[in-house]
Amino acid sequence: MSTTLLVGMADYKVGRTPDILMTAGLGSCIGICVYDLHTQIGSMGHIMLPSSRDNMKGNAAKYADTCLEIMLQELTRLGGNRLRLQAKMAGGAQMFSFNGKTPLLKIGERNAEAVQQELKKAKIPLLSYDVGGTHGRTINFDIKTGNLHIKTINHGEKVI
Amino acid sequence: MEISAIRLEALKEIGNIGSGHAATSLSNMLQTRIDMSVPKVWLVPLERMSEALGEMDATRVALYLKVEGEASGKALFVLPIESAEQIARNLLWMEETPDVFGDEMAQSALREVGNILVSSFVIALTQFSGILLQPSVPALAVDMIGAMIDAVLIEDGRVDDNVLIIDTKLSGVDVMEGKFLFIPDEGSLDKIFGVFGI
Repeated sequence: MSTTLLVGMADYKVGRTPDILMTAGLGSCIGICVYDLHTQIGSMGHIMLPSSRDNMKGNAAKYADTCLEIMLQELTRLGGNRLRLQAKMAGGAQMFSFNGKTPLLKIGERNAEAVQQELKKAKIPLLSYDVGGTHGRTINFDIKTGNLHIKTINHGEKVI
Repeated sequence: MEISAIRLEALKEIGNIGSGHAATSLSNMLQTRIDMSVPKVWLVPLERMSEALGEMDATRVALYLKVEGEASGKALFVLPIESAEQIARNLLWMEETPDVFGDEMAQSALREVGNILVSSFVIALTQFSGILLQPSVPALAVDMIGAMIDAVLIEDGRVDDNVLIIDTKLSGVDVMEGKFLFIPDEGSLDKIFGVFGI
């Protein structure tokens, strides 16, 4: 039977087919999926900040660099092949603006860039992504197919 | 950030006084009696936010203000769509319930409500403690609650492992239920507690 594994803020989960990995209500954070279709194993992380360097404390899954690191460790420990891993991501929106002005620090954008960088460093191809905009996203990842399903409130649904 | 029981109790008291002020202002605005209470103040770890807030992709209206001054932080007031639309309707004397997604008048009225609510809390805290605080212009969004909260939490590029949530309950208008969240900047809570010597 398929189980939906819910990934909270600054959290990550690993599952196997037929599991579904889900994060509800992503704003400026990034939902990252890394998976191995051959062994049917996958992981989703809910990243809040670009880098652990300035403020490493608390949960490792909070930061792009350390989250990816623990996800890769878990995936390979459970039989995933490092060379076969692929990735998809969503999130990184800008939810609020004050009098039409967006904040100087576009954290959503920076998060998306950081995740891309970390994937590049780890040599994991980013197959597709849906980032930016001003709306929230709920994402469901099907480990069996590698499909990332994205739901929004007023901006439709899509599968990437 | 860790808070002792006595400090949480003090925050609840501040919350109660603040919400009393807020209720009075809202009553005047809406011309009906509004009561507001604080059933709970809690410190929620990030990973358990969904336990505190319910479905993270439920659609809500959020009013967001930055509070600047000696104990700065971010204030967020979250309302169900129906409550927000009803408040806007009452405020604007509209015949029909407005659509909060698109109606700019309704959005502007709600921003004003956010302004008054947060100012009331802030004034209460200032009178109580002498700490000077100034709320910013409010921003409004209608979207998934989790999405709006994570955006506020990480906006400055840092985030605490815990969030302070002051649950408020409004009664007097049908289906009014709101959550008030205050996310103190580093050191702000210590400043407040310092004033009270706890």
